[in-house]
Amino acid sequence: MELHHFFTRQRVLIVAGKGGVGKSAVAASLALSSARSGLRTLLVSLNNESIDVPDNEHLERVTVTPGRALTDYLSSKGMGLLSRQLSRSGIVELVATTAPGLDDLLVLGRIKAFEKEQRADVIIIDGPAAGHAIDFVRAPSQLKKAIPSGPIGQQADEVITMLTDESRCRVMIVTTPAMTPVMESSEIMHELSDTLGISLVPVVVNKCEYDISEVDLTVLDGPLRDAYSYAAKRLQAQHDALNALRESTDLSTLQLHRHQLDGADLVDSLCHEITQQIQELS
Amino acid sequence: MTTSHVQSICETARVIVTCGTGGVGKTSVAAALGVIAAQQGRRVVVITIDPARRLADAIGLHESLGNEPQKIEIDTPGELWVTMLDVHETFDNLVRSASPSPERAEEVMNNSFYRSLSRSLSGTRDYMAAERLHELYNDDRFDLVIVDTPPSRNALDFLESPERLARFLKHPIVRVLIAPGRGGLRFASAAITPVLKAISSVVGSDALTGVASFLRAFDGMENEFTRRALAVARTLRSQDTRFIVVTAPSPDALGEADHFVGELARLNIDLPLVIANRMPPRFGDSDSTEQFNMARNSTGDLATAHAILARLLVDAERADDGIEHFIDRTRLRFNAINVAHATEFPADIHDLDGISELAQQLAASR
Repeated sequence: MELHHFFTRQRVLIVAGKGGVGKSAVAASLALSSARSGLRTLLVSLNNESIDVPDNEHLERVTVTPGRALTDYLSSKGMGLLSRQLSRSGIVELVATTAPGLDDLLVLGRIKAFEKEQRADVIIIDGPAAGHAIDFVRAPSQLKKAIPSGPIGQQADEVITMLTDESRCRVMIVTTPAMTPVMESSEIMHELSDTLGISLVPVVVNKCEYDISEVDLTVLDGPLRDAYSYAAKRLQAQHDALNALRESTDLSTLQLHRHQLDGADLVDSLCHEITQQIQELS
Repeated sequence: MTTSHVQSICETARVIVTCGTGGVGKTSVAAALGVIAAQQGRRVVVITIDPARRLADAIGLHESLGNEPQKIEIDTPGELWVTMLDVHETFDNLVRSASPSPERAEEVMNNSFYRSLSRSLSGTRDYMAAERLHELYNDDRFDLVIVDTPPSRNALDFLESPERLARFLKHPIVRVLIAPGRGGLRFASAAITPVLKAISSVVGSDALTGVASFLRAFDGMENEFTRRALAVARTLRSQDTRFIVVTAPSPDALGEADHFVGELARLNIDLPLVIANRMPPRFGDSDSTEQFNMARNSTGDLATAHAILARLLVDAERADDGIEHFIDRTRLRFNAINVAHATEFPADIHDLDGISELAQQLAASR
């Protein structure tokens, strides 16, 4: 698939995955790939720790947190005074308690604002927080039930419209090639697409082991033999998990290898791999 | 043979809380600690707060876990039970037991705000986890409760949730909403009115009315809630409760483990043990450089095998370094910290045999 097409089929791409699968590195490498292809790209982080990404003139990064999103929202509605009052009285926590999911809605609302003002050609969201993907995108409809009217209800409607329009927003699931994460991911994918009506892009299977060539075990002994059997068993488990994934979804997969790197070097290597994999998609 | 650190914690604690990020095998470790304690003759219940099926999958259970503990068939002197937190059911039970009358309990449970609160709010899950832990702790069937916390950064929020709830119920705004006086919200005190207005302009006035009617139905129950909340907080802070950080050796997992160590230090909670799980196994006693050289100097299958061993050794060496540095950092905060190791299994653990193997490694690690 042509890179520009892959990245601009939707304006917002939410990258989601459980802890330990390398979601942030994948989101960063995707953003870098998009920026290197010449598209103005915005990488949005939903928490305050940020991963190192190689510099690129087309890549911009922002962090969106519920507190900041609330302040922005109120100011945009001409309620700057109120926002200062709320933060001074420590009442934000109380508001969040009275309206469960409000924090997620605020963040999604901010993302929707980026999309509307066309802040970039491609907006990639690193998040939601681990184990939280479903709650995150379900927050607007949950809130809508609890609070049907008022500014919250209206905001929820607008966010739901964005989430369920595949020309505006899609979700990318990141997993690793082991049975438990694959099963969890396929449950999440079904929930997202069947129940919530959100479109998905190909699944990223991160941290794959390299294939090993067959050897004649009789020529090996001791640690060489043990190491080879271990590597072979691990690879077999990976194949089983990948097969289970293929059986549970029609989506294509983008397979990235486990690299013995971290920081910007890791993102750079993943970027090369993911770019090539996207181009090979049919 | 002296007992290992893991064994001594399993023998003496009344509550063990395992924390760690996703992908480090925390749930399997929690179940393995349960097996170790059951082998020591203790009656153990492992509770998972994570709604995913991980615990059931790890021990090879096909049916789903519920709020009621389920006994596992295992050949040990003690007993192993497992359960999964059901937020909704726990909250309903709590309302029933705290309510002055069954009618009042019904009124609360029928309130629309209560229903969305008990279903979806993550803060509610934290609070109910603490409440359920306390119930199990006081349940005569069990000597030890092992808590498998959710695989998220804020997994330790549940420690503070009882106090947070107690604080919330005492908040002046909440007091006004509970007992607004004859005139309703309109006559709330002058200091509070602008803040209430502010809140209702954000969430809408309907929402605030729903909340207010919930809080009014709730009136009178808050003393019991506060009392229980404080009892839970005491248990969690007592010597009966032991915290364990579980980590894997990858840089991202160690970064998250640093976060948990910092949280425990901030909460003034002691950390006696770190479990370094999913350590790459080390084959033979050579190092990766030597193996890469041998790969270059040999041909065919032998070269392939040396290269594979070399790569696995790189993993093992990096893992050892990573854990060593992590422990050095952690010693700055908890100088009496101990470490137990367990190796990475080639495939996911999905039955009791796997858990028992993990238990054996942990019990033997010193």
